[in-house]
Amino acid sequence: MVDKQLDSTRAASAFQKQWFAELRRRVFDDRQPYALLQADVPFELFDVAGIPAVSNQWWASMIAAKRQAPQYLDAMDADGLPGGLCRYCSLGYASTRYATAGEPPWGGLPTPRLLCARLTCDCIHRVFSLWADAFGAELFEIDHSGAGDLPVRWWELGRHRWRELVEPHRLAFVASTLEALVDRLETISGRDFDRDALRHRLERVNAQEELFDSVRQLIATAPECPVRMTEQVTNVMATQWVRGSDWALSHARAFRDEVKRRVDAGIAACPGERARLMWVGAGLWHDTSFYTAFEPSHRAVFVWSMYLAFGPDGYIRYGLDDPMAALASRTAGFNEYLHNPPWAAEWIVHQARTHRIDGALVLRPRSMKPAATGRLFIERALEKAGIPVLPIDADVVDGRQWDPEAARGAVRSFLDAQVLQ
Amino acid sequence: MDEPYIVASWPCVPVEIVRAAGLRPTFAQGLGDPTPIADSCLEPNIFPSRLRHLVEAARAGLLRGASRIVIARTSDADYKCFLYLREFVRTEAGSAIPPVVLFDLLQSHSEDVRAYDVARTYALVEELGSASGRMPSDDDLRHEIARTNRARAAARRLTELRRIAPRVAGTEVFPLLAAFWEMEPDQYVTLADEAAREIAARSPLTGPRVLLTGAPVDDSALHQAIESAGAVVVAEVGPWGSGAPGEDVRCDDDPVAALADKYRTDVIGPRTPVDAVRRWTGRLLDEVDAVVVSLPLDDAVFGWDYPVLREVLVARRIPHVCLRGSPHESPPPADHARLDAMVAAASQLQETSRG
Repeated sequence: MVDKQLDSTRAASAFQKQWFAELRRRVFDDRQPYALLQADVPFELFDVAGIPAVSNQWWASMIAAKRQAPQYLDAMDADGLPGGLCRYCSLGYASTRYATAGEPPWGGLPTPRLLCARLTCDCIHRVFSLWADAFGAELFEIDHSGAGDLPVRWWELGRHRWRELVEPHRLAFVASTLEALVDRLETISGRDFDRDALRHRLERVNAQEELFDSVRQLIATAPECPVRMTEQVTNVMATQWVRGSDWALSHARAFRDEVKRRVDAGIAACPGERARLMWVGAGLWHDTSFYTAFEPSHRAVFVWSMYLAFGPDGYIRYGLDDPMAALASRTAGFNEYLHNPPWAAEWIVHQARTHRIDGALVLRPRSMKPAATGRLFIERALEKAGIPVLPIDADVVDGRQWDPEAARGAVRSFLDAQVLQ
Repeated sequence: MDEPYIVASWPCVPVEIVRAAGLRPTFAQGLGDPTPIADSCLEPNIFPSRLRHLVEAARAGLLRGASRIVIARTSDADYKCFLYLREFVRTEAGSAIPPVVLFDLLQSHSEDVRAYDVARTYALVEELGSASGRMPSDDDLRHEIARTNRARAAARRLTELRRIAPRVAGTEVFPLLAAFWEMEPDQYVTLADEAAREIAARSPLTGPRVLLTGAPVDDSALHQAIESAGAVVVAEVGPWGSGAPGEDVRCDDDPVAALADKYRTDVIGPRTPVDAVRRWTGRLLDEVDAVVVSLPLDDAVFGWDYPVLREVLVARRIPHVCLRGSPHESPPPADHARLDAMVAAASQLQETSRG
């Protein structure tokens, strides 16, 4: 375990543990409903409805970080599920379906009242149907329409011109589906949904993401990176799951202030920084120390991942006269922007340039089929921009075939031969 | 090939609309052949063979004569294939790829989805009409629906001859059913009826009756492997074989909505809701002696159904085999041995049940 350099990081980790304990208490003791959501579902709707929500991906990352994934993954294999099926989105399901195989973090998930997922990847309908069956809970699905118009520099439209970002028929479809979701949430919560509260919540989400934008700017422009990528991720994701809440805003501000103090004081994550790296793809949750392994030997620092950078570009929506439409415009294209041409490659090259990136490590996910698409376009676009690329074959939660020493050796060779030559 | 044509990625692009617009439908299908051009730009184990061959042909300039490439929203891989093709067009000067269109037909159950699909089907009518210069009227569409329904009925007559006491091998009948999608409907009726008459005069085939399920197949390579072990494939999941005809399309005031409804609910693919797939499989289990489940490496979906299906098969004492290789290539010797064992077990159960 690598020492945390920021007080904010320790506070964020503590908050998550305490938040989950409080969730369990409310569900078990107070019999309050909660929801289990795919990461790209608009959590704001649940917050406004007063229904706490747990992210599937966050839960999977917790299982992997607590070294419990292999037990559940072995149980999936033993049940005849082919090894090529997505493990990231299904590890949480496995922790329910094969409950006795491992020891879930912090006592495990209580039974949710509702599961909700966007049907981006083909497997999501299957995984969430099985999971809902295993819990005996209701499933609400948000189908995923495909984009026919492809504005390349999407991040320049998202804040003010978000209606141009998504074709009208798709925007209307997603907004209508979200309205149907709100109907369900009203029934579950037993109270009317407050649209003014949604607008207010989205304004606070904007404020939170503006703070993250400041952090991103500080990281991009400081002489040396002030905060490790792993600590960026912890701080950002702890707040993203409860975005717009009092704690989230206050924590985002504290994080920004701490990073700024470090920059002002000339404190670097890795003093004497020689190489600035970017990580393209989901995090290696079973081996997070990978990201700091090259600081002592090469003064190479992971500066960038999508987790901090996507918030300001993907979430901020100004002009909230119709908050549901604004929310729909964010929801409609989430995955495409992160993975697929033309959006992902253009954005990642843009980010690499603004962050003065010297080398990029691009995840080649072993079992996440949709997340694995688009990576050849990203790799080629980065190389065309003069940024050396090292593909990393790995699964983000399944470390059973991961050889940490071999992977570190490959990165060291990459740094020696292509980044620091 | 003077007749204007389109290339579609999967048979959930309504052929009635394509023909009403004066275009000939052709469909991407998988093959065992190599795809070196596609392999350089498509990630491995994600895109099925049919999409690899589609991209191979498109990038090699072989589809330059097509009026449109229509990619259906059959799977995430299809959608990504659409995005990739559009990116090649955007970034490569002088690309020989014809205009690429997404037919965004969603499949989950909700009124919002139904309304969305109807609107996207209207958009497809517009798109193909502008591609050919012949905008189909409602009457044109009703005419094509009626013609195609007659072809569906002919295809159903063929599938009936596979049921209970099958009179035709899957290897032989699969191409006849698959031809439904590309052949002129009137011509198809003649051909299918002629074949049905000839097949009906045959004696029933012996050997265990096999259901081929899992990921839908689009050629008969697995049929050959299974039938070489002494079984008869009597049904297969997906639109190319048993599922080709489906139910008739209703012919009413709104032919476009009728087509949207039909293709949303009737064509099994990776985004078909699991309850529909289970219903389809469940209906057939009463009429088969064994089951082969094909789960190739590019499958992201049907493998999730396997544990539940296995429990059903075990409870009903139906032997089964799960194959993980390419459905377009002959299975390796170990899989052949497993197929032999499955057929032997099913034969024994057949003997026992017949006393």
